[in-house]
Amino acid sequence: MTTRTEPPIQTEPDGQAHRLSRMHRMLLLVALGFIAISLVRVVSGEVVLTSSGTARAMLTLALPIAMCALGGLVAERAGVINIGLEGMMILGTWGAGFGGWHYGPWGALLGALIGGALGGLLHAVATVSFGVDHIVSGVAINLVAAGLVRFLSEAVYTDATEGGGPTMSPPLGSVSTFDVPILSSGPNVLGRLENTGVFLISDVGGLLRGLTSGLTVFTLIALAMIPLVWFILWRTALGLRWRSAGESPVAAESLGVNVYRMKYLAVVVSGALAGLGGFVLVMFEQSYREGQTGGRGFIGLAAMIFGNWRPGGLLAGSGLFGYADAVRLRAATSAAILALLLLVGLILAAVGIWDLYRRRYVLSAVLLVLAGLAVVGWAGLDALPHEVTTMTPYLVTLAVLATASQRLRPPAADGVRYRRGEEH
Amino acid sequence: MRRVLKYAVGAAGLALLLGACASDDDGDNGTTSDNGAASDLSVGLAFDIGGRGDRSFNDAAAAGLERARDELGVDFQELSPNPDGSNRGELLRELADAGREPIFGIGYAFIEDMDTAAGEYPDVQFIRIDGIPSDHDNVAVMTFADHEGSFLMGVAAALKTESGQVGIIGGNEGAVINAFAAGFKQGVEAVDPSIEIADQRLAAGEDASGFRDAAGARVAAEAMYDRGIDVIYTPAGDSNVGTFQAAADAGKWAIGTDSDQYETVGDPELQEVILTSMLKRVDVAVFDSIAAFADGEDIVSHAYDLSDDGVGYTTSGGFIDDIVDELDDYKQRIVDGEIEVSPTE
Repeated sequence: MTTRTEPPIQTEPDGQAHRLSRMHRMLLLVALGFIAISLVRVVSGEVVLTSSGTARAMLTLALPIAMCALGGLVAERAGVINIGLEGMMILGTWGAGFGGWHYGPWGALLGALIGGALGGLLHAVATVSFGVDHIVSGVAINLVAAGLVRFLSEAVYTDATEGGGPTMSPPLGSVSTFDVPILSSGPNVLGRLENTGVFLISDVGGLLRGLTSGLTVFTLIALAMIPLVWFILWRTALGLRWRSAGESPVAAESLGVNVYRMKYLAVVVSGALAGLGGFVLVMFEQSYREGQTGGRGFIGLAAMIFGNWRPGGLLAGSGLFGYADAVRLRAATSAAILALLLLVGLILAAVGIWDLYRRRYVLSAVLLVLAGLAVVGWAGLDALPHEVTTMTPYLVTLAVLATASQRLRPPAADGVRYRRGEEH
Repeated sequence: MRRVLKYAVGAAGLALLLGACASDDDGDNGTTSDNGAASDLSVGLAFDIGGRGDRSFNDAAAAGLERARDELGVDFQELSPNPDGSNRGELLRELADAGREPIFGIGYAFIEDMDTAAGEYPDVQFIRIDGIPSDHDNVAVMTFADHEGSFLMGVAAALKTESGQVGIIGGNEGAVINAFAAGFKQGVEAVDPSIEIADQRLAAGEDASGFRDAAGARVAAEAMYDRGIDVIYTPAGDSNVGTFQAAADAGKWAIGTDSDQYETVGDPELQEVILTSMLKRVDVAVFDSIAAFADGEDIVSHAYDLSDDGVGYTTSGGFIDDIVDELDDYKQRIVDGEIEVSPTE
């Protein structure tokens, strides 16, 4: 890891006061970003940028990615690189299809958790007990999972009378949705705000309305995982042990922590979270389908890395990807995508000016030139080829996160092979 | 390091083994052929992405295969490609090595793989459903006038829309889907040129990922219904079900493709929103080819269209009973050559 900038032993150097200020800084950045989007919406007239439908689609598209990223976070904080997230997610989707077919939505949830956790267990056995290289084991799990689900589907779904076949489960039916009362139904306060069309007010209304309508109980469960994982990792003894296993397993061992057990637990939980991501996807598509994960496990891993191995960061990363994907799918013409180009230009310009202030002249010059190009592109182009619009989620996420996360610090012993007692 | 290597090799070996199991086990579903007249024909068929159970294109092919089993007593083996379809060539070789003949490849994506395989097995008859004509003598290509069937779907959408806005959600921008879209747009315009048509594709170029992106289709369809569109035509294979779900949520219409999706969707809630389906008689093409082969005839490439009912529309659900006369009128005018439907825009 060439991105490491701090001494490896130092874990979380920041005290309470510092952490608060970081929290404030992050909220400030999110607020500024939202104002930028709102501004772009007004300038371009593309309502799709902040409509409630886009916000709802963003939540739907971001959640599976965020769950995978969260799974990656738990494993890597405990020192195990988990590139097998995609495979664990695939096992989760299959488990959800099987459990949902037999026992309804709660069965699907359980099936997905078990499927993902089994994938995690395999990874733990390989990497923790046998000391296999984490990347090799993860890649193997991705391959095994893809082959295994086809095998299982042929054994189980092919003869299902309700439909289904070697690549898909029988249909699982829909889960009932609800809107938050007063805010998004009945008086529909947020909906009225959204329809005003006023700068910022309409955009806030649209965003919040999208996030408070069309919810399912499972969306809420998945969302709750993010603060829960944060709480466990940074506020409980278990989390401290997990993180110590990822920062300095030898020191943890000398203090009596069973590092093997910690790593096992973390990787199994990691798999279960990836499986949960698969479950969210299956519930939205209302059946298991082969290949439905579409590389979301890898995107989750990338979101976690760009998010600097932190829950807030990975949430921002997956949210951004989900947002750009939602705009691409909901936009009537590529004009909305061009408006996103303006947004990227604004963000690049802001970061460039900040770097200028910090006297990083070369970086600043590069960013400002890119920002200029983006704005010229927005003003000069009428339409984009479809190849570009389908790439938008990747481009936007890359552009924003690459500029926003220039100082990344992975856990110090992440991916390092640990053998009990060898260091004494 | 040595240990690491050992386990790595072990894990990779396990992966290969499982992968092999998965493809070897692909159902040999044709063994129960006691009821039909016995035939020693053993047919091979490789599906398009999504495989059996997609309730659309592939299931139409499977229906033809099953009819051949029941009526002609042939034996068959069917295989489904992996999610990205990269093993199509291997599937064809596997079928050829197993002595299956004729061997079907379902979908235009078989163009290159089938031509290559046909060169390697010059004595085996290959049949491709969709795609451009082949240079090889042993490859017959069955095509469908998708644009003619889609024209009728455009007519149906134009007659049923109340908002004056209709939409298309296609799997990608390939030639086949473009023909669907072109026919649909001409059909809409023939009824009422003032109707607005939104055209959205789930993937760019020939990228097949758009055919198995039900989540993307659902998001795109939700947006269209939000904008006031009330009929969506969805030539997107496996993704169609996403559009149906959005239609059910919005209480508006969707039009299916390839199979009679009212019958195949398998969910009463979704049935209620499937106005009609552009029927592509892949089952007829598969069955006719097998029957001809069983009789010892040469299999020749054929273009199925409205005149021989190779493409058409469905009336399941009874949602279009009131406009059947108009649809049949347009159909007759296309068959008579009075209306020329172009496969490109």
